[in-house]
Amino acid sequence: MWQSLPELGTGALYAVLVVASYTFAVAVAAGRGRPRLLPSARLGAYATSGLVLFAILLLAYGFITHDFRLRYVARYSDRSMPTEYLFTALWGGQDGSLLWWSFLLSLYIAACVRWLKGRYRVLQPYIIATLMMVLGFFVILMLFAANPFHANVAGAPPDGEGLNVLLQNYWMAIHPPALYLGFVGCSVPFAFAIAALVTGRLKSEAKNEWIVAVRKWMLFAFLFLSIGNVLGMIWAYEELGWGGFWAWDPVENAACLPWFTAAAYVHSTMIQERRNTFKIWNVFLICLTFFLTLFGTFLTRSGMIASVHSFAQSDIGIFFVWGMGFTLATCAGLIVWRLPMLRSTARIESIASRDAMFVINNWALLGGMTFILVATLFPKLSEWIIGETVTVGPPFFNRWMAPIGLLIFAMMGMAPLFGWSKTSRSALERAFAVPLGVLAITAVLHVFFGPKLGYPAFVESDTLYPGVLGLALQKIESAWPLVTVSLAGFNLTVIFQEFYRGVAARRFSAARRNEPEGVLTALFRLVDKNRRRYGGYVVHLGIVCMFLGFVGPAWKIEVETSLAQGESYRLGPYELTYLGPRMCPGNPKCSPQEQSDISKRMLFADLEVTRNGNPVGRISPAKFIYHAQPEQPTSEVALVRGLREDLYTVLGTADPASKRATFQFHMNPFVGWIWIGLLVLISGATISLWPDLGLREVGVWSYMRTAAGTAAGAALAVWLAMGPSTAFAAVRPRPPLPYAVAGPAKGAERPGETLPGIGGAALLGLGVGGLAAALRGRRARWRKAAGDAL
Amino acid sequence: MRRFHLARLARWIVPALTLVSAFVAGLAAGVELALIVLAAGALALVIALIWGSVQSLTGESPMTLEEAFTVAQPTPEEEQKLAVMRALRDLSYERSVGKISEDDYQSLSARYRAEAKHLMARIDEELGPRRARVERRVERRLSGSADATQASGGKASPASADEPATGKSSAVKAKLKKKAATAGASITATSRKMTAPASVPCGTCGTRNDLDAHFCKSCGHSLGGQSA
Repeated sequence: MWQSLPELGTGALYAVLVVASYTFAVAVAAGRGRPRLLPSARLGAYATSGLVLFAILLLAYGFITHDFRLRYVARYSDRSMPTEYLFTALWGGQDGSLLWWSFLLSLYIAACVRWLKGRYRVLQPYIIATLMMVLGFFVILMLFAANPFHANVAGAPPDGEGLNVLLQNYWMAIHPPALYLGFVGCSVPFAFAIAALVTGRLKSEAKNEWIVAVRKWMLFAFLFLSIGNVLGMIWAYEELGWGGFWAWDPVENAACLPWFTAAAYVHSTMIQERRNTFKIWNVFLICLTFFLTLFGTFLTRSGMIASVHSFAQSDIGIFFVWGMGFTLATCAGLIVWRLPMLRSTARIESIASRDAMFVINNWALLGGMTFILVATLFPKLSEWIIGETVTVGPPFFNRWMAPIGLLIFAMMGMAPLFGWSKTSRSALERAFAVPLGVLAITAVLHVFFGPKLGYPAFVESDTLYPGVLGLALQKIESAWPLVTVSLAGFNLTVIFQEFYRGVAARRFSAARRNEPEGVLTALFRLVDKNRRRYGGYVVHLGIVCMFLGFVGPAWKIEVETSLAQGESYRLGPYELTYLGPRMCPGNPKCSPQEQSDISKRMLFADLEVTRNGNPVGRISPAKFIYHAQPEQPTSEVALVRGLREDLYTVLGTADPASKRATFQFHMNPFVGWIWIGLLVLISGATISLWPDLGLREVGVWSYMRTAAGTAAGAALAVWLAMGPSTAFAAVRPRPPLPYAVAGPAKGAERPGETLPGIGGAALLGLGVGGLAAALRGRRARWRKAAGDAL
Repeated sequence: MRRFHLARLARWIVPALTLVSAFVAGLAAGVELALIVLAAGALALVIALIWGSVQSLTGESPMTLEEAFTVAQPTPEEEQKLAVMRALRDLSYERSVGKISEDDYQSLSARYRAEAKHLMARIDEELGPRRARVERRVERRLSGSADATQASGGKASPASADEPATGKSSAVKAKLKKKAATAGASITATSRKMTAPASVPCGTCGTRNDLDAHFCKSCGHSLGGQSA
């Protein structure tokens, strides 16, 4: 057994199941009146995590050593694949992605158990038990339906089949881990909710302490759901070559469902913290979020709904049905059982309060989620109900999601203007005056100047429905660009007004104390003292940027054209001149890197680009034909990025004899703002999640924690920021250019070269974090000294 | 105690050693060996963890440092108190930027303050017996050390040996008593219903303080009889 990787790996999975069951039993015993067993359960949880780590390392070893005795390794890798994509293949297929999922879950378990330490001693056993059950479910799934260590029945083939070329992309390497981190992260809040329901620590005010604990975990999961979804958009935009970033494919929909409920929870939990109401609602949201992660996984893997990029059909669907049924039954049963404890007496006092705004916002988010869910399932539902399959396409989604999205967008701007519980009329008038003024001015400016700039306020779309109703809907829809831009102005003003009012109030009280503060000092201290609030506003700022990106496609220009060598085409401010095709390797104009690439043949079509007469550079959309998968040529997009718009070019066909080529040219306004919005969102969530250091914590550990937090944040930011250059360099070798090109940076040749960057960022982060912690520690010592002196 | 230190060190040294050797192995012989070393390290760790878990299950292991630490961890009430404090801070922020009216502020803040006091009282209640126990122990220890000093002092005059010890002990006692008195005061304050919100001006700087404040929140001057 020890010489056989398949058997050793399967044995490791069985061991995980055994240790997880043991930990579950010990944890439940600890919860039922034998608290001395808790340390034992905690160690058991660590051991389970360690075993999953062992299993994933074994699979990685299998990939690195090309151990094709493993069926999974043979199916998703080949000998020519570079090392970094061998690691990517760990989650490239069904079986491995389940193991990867379990691995991330085990990381969460270890982190959660470590974080729990002595906290929530009553809840802890049940939290551990629930997490063990979730992990156990995935291990059972692997062992009985999708074992990544399954041996090849016919023995090891000489070479593997290789990873799908579409997945050999930088963004695809980091998109699934980020999305899974979000999905898996929802298990921890779920474990807390189940533990609270089981132990009944829900009733009196002092006992709903778990809600405070859960918020951060949920925010963390929400952050990674956002990152994962946006990375998915980037991948679709750059790799699939159809000019857009979101096509309402079932897989995409499945990934964004929990995002809606997590966003709703992150807001409604604030009401429970302050008012002790909405307990049933919050528990329901947590359970629903977890359920949707399972459901999303089921949807993409069971083959129930046809999708362009779901996993291969397999028999794990039935396991998920059982898993979801069990989850649903458990949650419903526990909630009904604890209903008397969950009921709260407090009511919303006034509609003019932030509480009420959050409720409306929650319903809008949940409404959006339900709409996407029903529309995604519509083919199946229609089959069951009326006996024929009715599919709904992207126009249908866009039509109905636009108003829901805009309602959420409007609520996002309005809610911060209200105070908790109730807001007086005069206060509301003061708060709304400037933002509403800006909204009106933006709308007027957009109507008058929009068309001149190429962004008209009203854009007619096709009618989806016949008759008067269809016409009316079409008229309303034509105003969405205007509404979005005006609301963006409104939201921006609200955010700036919040910062301005906070800084002004701080400076005012500081001046009264005779310790005047500068604007920047006041701003820094304001954010430092209210990290949750201002971090939240920064997240809102990120969402505003994203909405700007979402409305951009309303003004897009798409053309399909055929050009002869030397011919030019004018698209908006751009002029594209076709220089001719080039087949690499072989053509003397190819770069050395292209000449040495033996895994594929590359057909480039070089285009010289100018913008308003100024040279921008040369771009080369291409078709790649991989020797491993010759029947599936891939379109390689070439982009000129900009803040106003992206020029997006796709090569259709190129005739080497006549040198004539067909192209698709897209001008996509504001798409880059989605990626910028993501970076802003990450920084906002990081501000919110930044740990509060208590006085008692000031010590080595707090230094370490702050440093590690800063390092991780900086590394992530640098990694994401460097992404485009490595993505381009890795998969799209380009010719040496006579002058600088807009878009991808030169220099980074392979993803491997980002490592020094990450290392540098980590060092920088450690330095900054250490400094921050040292200053904090010194401040604490000063305070302590001052206290002693008093 | 020594065992704890060793166990604690081992917890950090084993993974660190594994990582370092994996790194060295990776540099010397490629990623394959690094992965094998890491896997072996993970397995060793798992075995140690399961061993520890079973040992503590059968009651053979003494209380770990981690367990001992749990005693000092914040209780649910303390965490909840922090949340209420945060809500109070939010509220005063909202008043300062003019989001809520003065009346609303007063009524909401009174509610939160009552809740915070209720929680503090519960924390004190829970800590009461422990504090008494600690107090007894400190006293016993101090008197014990005083006896020891007396005994070892030998020829030294009994008065001089006794004095610092009792001085120290009485200082500690006074401190403890003061703390207990504050706790008691806060418990009695909770029982008072906060009905009509009002404020007291500071005699020194004139800042308006809450009715139950002992010290001015601006200059720190004692409000003494004013607040009662």
